[in-house]
Amino acid sequence: MNGLDEPHLVNLVNPVKNAVSARLRGYGKTAAMAATSVAGESPIFLLDYAVRFLRVALLLSVWRIVMARHPVAGGMSLGEVLTYTLVAELFAEQFACRIGLEDSLWDGNVATRFARPMSLVEQFTSETVGKWAVGWVLCSIPLLLAAPLLGVDPWPASVAAGLLFAVSMVLSVSIGLALEFIMGALLVWFQLSPWSINRTRDAIAALVSGRVIPLALLPWGLGRAFEWLPFAAAVSAPLRIFIGAGDPLCLLAVQAAWAIGLWPVALWMWRANRQRLAGYGG
Amino acid sequence: MEGKSEPNIVVRMMRLWGIAAWMDLLWVTKDLKQFVFYFGAEALLSVAAMSTTLLLAARFNGIGAWSTDQVVFMLAYSTAVMGAMETFFNFNVLEISRRIGRGQLDHVLVQPRPLWVAILTEGFCPFSGSGSLLIGLGLLAWSTSRIGIAVTTGWIALLLVSLAASCAVVLAFSYLWGSLAFWSPRGAEEVCSSSNVMLSALRPFPLDGLGPVLLGGMLTFAPIGFVGWLPARGLLGMGPSWQSAATPLAALLFGIVASFIFRKGLREYGRTGSQRYLSHGHRR
Repeated sequence: MNGLDEPHLVNLVNPVKNAVSARLRGYGKTAAMAATSVAGESPIFLLDYAVRFLRVALLLSVWRIVMARHPVAGGMSLGEVLTYTLVAELFAEQFACRIGLEDSLWDGNVATRFARPMSLVEQFTSETVGKWAVGWVLCSIPLLLAAPLLGVDPWPASVAAGLLFAVSMVLSVSIGLALEFIMGALLVWFQLSPWSINRTRDAIAALVSGRVIPLALLPWGLGRAFEWLPFAAAVSAPLRIFIGAGDPLCLLAVQAAWAIGLWPVALWMWRANRQRLAGYGG
Repeated sequence: MEGKSEPNIVVRMMRLWGIAAWMDLLWVTKDLKQFVFYFGAEALLSVAAMSTTLLLAARFNGIGAWSTDQVVFMLAYSTAVMGAMETFFNFNVLEISRRIGRGQLDHVLVQPRPLWVAILTEGFCPFSGSGSLLIGLGLLAWSTSRIGIAVTTGWIALLLVSLAASCAVVLAFSYLWGSLAFWSPRGAEEVCSSSNVMLSALRPFPLDGLGPVLLGGMLTFAPIGFVGWLPARGLLGMGPSWQSAATPLAALLFGIVASFIFRKGLREYGRTGSQRYLSHGHRR
């Protein structure tokens, strides 16, 4: 035992264990507060979920129309495209990965966040997970249950595809969070209104991430160029793994490369911008 | 002022539009960087909103009964409608629930002009807010020439009436939801942004493949069909001719219902006032 008897080992392990469990408890409580803030404020937020239901119903109907004359397009069958579309909507919040950083900068509550006993990344991540839970309960799970009614097979191409999809989603969220912090840093750097930068990002991401149209189905070979971008690594890659289109290991490698590459940039940009933060309002 | 008669309402509205346009120009010239980013982002967003459907149409040579050029026409039409809303009803005039919920309706009510005049003139921003409108109108002209529509005076009149009617549907829908803020100022403060997102997010899709229940819903409870799909069908001569009259009729019905509910809400507001301000000025 290298000179350490059992009571000594317990004394060393317990503080670490307690610290970790306190941390996790903190994350859980923060997530729970964020979830209740969404559901407790007013029932109006349900409208956003209604939009998601309608959007997926519309998209499915459009795919059925356009693929009626093209049973297989870009190597994908109609069934695969429908599954891709449904799963993209089930995980829409995770793919969008919006943590409310810009709002926090805009309304000034970022200032009080620095005084909390948790780093900004931990606070925002915990809150985001809490909000996702609401989205899952009120939108994604009902949508998943409605899949047979919509005529869509919601299952992955294989068990292996399902497992790799889970790994891919972790990388996807990691890329999404890094992008969110980079965008937030740009917002501070250029002193822009959050709406401008948010809308620009939404506009670019909707086009190049493959969230609405699988990249393989874009005309003029656009998809081949877009699939190397971080937006596609965050969205298109896990969806392709789910439906069994493309080499999963290659897709995971590209995702890992982006996750590893983007986080140092995000953290550096935050450090470099810290002194530029100004809190107004509140 | 004694001896000075009130100007004609049209003249007065023109003056108010002029003042709003001047203030918008001042904002543009005051902070060019913000303007470029804002204008560019709005223009980029309107292109991106169209791009999904447009790329699908390009890839598959149209969508169902719609040729690619007809799809462009429909997208351009709905972009022009939403662009007109941004140009004429900016500064939370379209998102009226924010003004009601925040107690800012008082700022309008204390001014010496009717509320409806304020609604029609206060949100006008022809310089900073016209990005989508210009793109929409440009694409509308381009796709019209590509499709080879016989552009007669009657057709242009129908186009203008349809555009105005679609705008009226969007405004009425927003005020219908926004009126909730009279009864629930805090809870419904953001309801208009959700209802407007519904219209703008779903407007690029042709509704042809939907079943009768869903299609009925998208022409009544969520009148997405009147923002682009149905009026475009009427203008392109697709389907029965009554479709051309459907959007103006819908605008009339939505307008009556929204006006009734909004007036009811105003009466409630008259009794309760704003509950959002503390005595020292801050919002709850």
